[in-house]
Amino acid sequence: MAFLQGEQVGYVERPGSTLDAAVKALLAGPTKAEAKRELTTQIPAGTPLRSVQLNGSIATIDVGEKLATGTNVESLSARVAQLVLTATRFPNVRSVKLLVKGGTPLGLFPGVVTRYPITAKAVAAPNLPPPTTPAPPPSGGQSERIRALQLRLDELGFLSRGSVDGKAGPRTTSAVVAFQKWAGLTRDGAAGPATLAALASATRPTPINRGTGHRIEVLLDRQLTLVIDGDRVTRILDVSSGKPGFETLVGSWKIVRKEERSWSVPYKVWLPWATYIVGGYAIHEYPDVPPYPASHGCVRVPSWDAEWLYRQIPFGTLVTVIGRSR
Amino acid sequence: MRPLVAALAVAAILVVPATAAAPPTKTPGELVVGLAMPSAGFQVGAVRGRDVVLARGFEIDLARALAKRLELPRVRFVNEPLFSTLLVAGRKDWDVALAQISVTPARAKRVDFSSPYLAADQGVLVRLGLPPPRSIAALRPLQLCAERASTGGQLILDRIKPNKKPRLLENPSKLSYELFTKRCDAIVFDAPALAVLRRQAPDRYGPLVGRIATSEKYGIALERGNPLRPRLNAALKRLAMDGTLERLRKRWLGTDTAGLLALR
Repeated sequence: MAFLQGEQVGYVERPGSTLDAAVKALLAGPTKAEAKRELTTQIPAGTPLRSVQLNGSIATIDVGEKLATGTNVESLSARVAQLVLTATRFPNVRSVKLLVKGGTPLGLFPGVVTRYPITAKAVAAPNLPPPTTPAPPPSGGQSERIRALQLRLDELGFLSRGSVDGKAGPRTTSAVVAFQKWAGLTRDGAAGPATLAALASATRPTPINRGTGHRIEVLLDRQLTLVIDGDRVTRILDVSSGKPGFETLVGSWKIVRKEERSWSVPYKVWLPWATYIVGGYAIHEYPDVPPYPASHGCVRVPSWDAEWLYRQIPFGTLVTVIGRSR
Repeated sequence: MRPLVAALAVAAILVVPATAAAPPTKTPGELVVGLAMPSAGFQVGAVRGRDVVLARGFEIDLARALAKRLELPRVRFVNEPLFSTLLVAGRKDWDVALAQISVTPARAKRVDFSSPYLAADQGVLVRLGLPPPRSIAALRPLQLCAERASTGGQLILDRIKPNKKPRLLENPSKLSYELFTKRCDAIVFDAPALAVLRRQAPDRYGPLVGRIATSEKYGIALERGNPLRPRLNAALKRLAMDGTLERLRKRWLGTDTAGLLALR
């Protein structure tokens, strides 16, 4: 069965399963044990299976209207990917003809061509051009007040390198948010009286776990990523992890998969500068990093820090995802 | 108001009888609705040949509401694989057709049109994090994008005259992706389509900040001389007045594009 894990598909094998049983099990969703491994599904609960037929190498899967509930494009395309990738795991199935209520879907799954049988290859192929380097974020006028703020943020490890320019902008705002997250203040990105007072007396953050060497800690409660050398935190980054129902998996792993341009098969979106922590969970660039958990389980990093962070995490680096850091 | 629309409005007032007999449909008691699926937000579904086994969207609910208002107990949808087939002159096997059909004088020679049910102005959708521009002047310093050879692209060049060269992209999906990845500050495209786009991926874009009037209108097509037209217009008028049209638009398109700020 092709369930979802972070931004990618997570497969579950059940021995002796037939095509019919596999599709039924997929529609039924992950078991409790599988859900504990953070396997999720986008297929609405209670989606009925009308029929499964195999004609040659084409599996015709007819499901109820419920499969097409809602309007969210990412969720809708993930459902098709889950069905197609589940059926095409069987060596005798090459493609899936998807029917809803006995009819060929037209526009029910935006961005997916459902008029013809769908192959696993078609599901996995990017349908968008890979992203180019984004324009540098605009910054405002220079001021001594901003420069002082930046120097302090830099001193504590919150500001990206070379960003002390005295100009207000998204980098500085993001660094302020990172500090507010660390200090447990309101995450508004504004250097108000409470934030300035806390900044004045703050010390550089320290690692949550004891350890040695170069390593990474992702703090889910604070929505921060720490880059650590020995017992010194060299950088604290503002990130956004998995939203409720898509919680990022907690644990420690050594990095074995890195992709400069990664494509999310189920959700059909580019994930630039992706370092996979485990399964489909990656640390990657994303255009929008809100101050709360927002992703499908991955760790979103702002565009200006993404490549730098990618280079900070070579193969074999230990990454620890921590649920509660205080 | 265009002469065509004015004529329809007058006809609606004059022709509707005080006590209505059964509406003149091809099959008594049934409204057959021609579609050209798919169009996100407006009409999507599933088909077996021309038969529609599942349909939903703004125009689907509008057709159902019209049938109810006309006291027709049954609604059946048929799909035309080619949009242009709907607009060919001659006999039709449907009573009415809804498919985001812009009313134009050339089309009005081949089919009749109801009064409009949606204004299809150009809309301006901005990227996440951008302070919303409130005027055409505020759009000038931005990186604007539009589809190549589109009304929106022409509008940027003729009316907005931006400081930076606008980017003209091959298709709407590239356009929306460049906005999502913030390589465009704002995109100019058909307002109802932008409303749908935002509804499909609400956390990828900023707000639909306004519209620039181009006075395009969507109308319901009927076979020429179809006597249903005055009754249909009266029903449409009632749906507009009792708020049904507004409610359906909000449900399926997310934003009332006619109610958007007109950028000047």
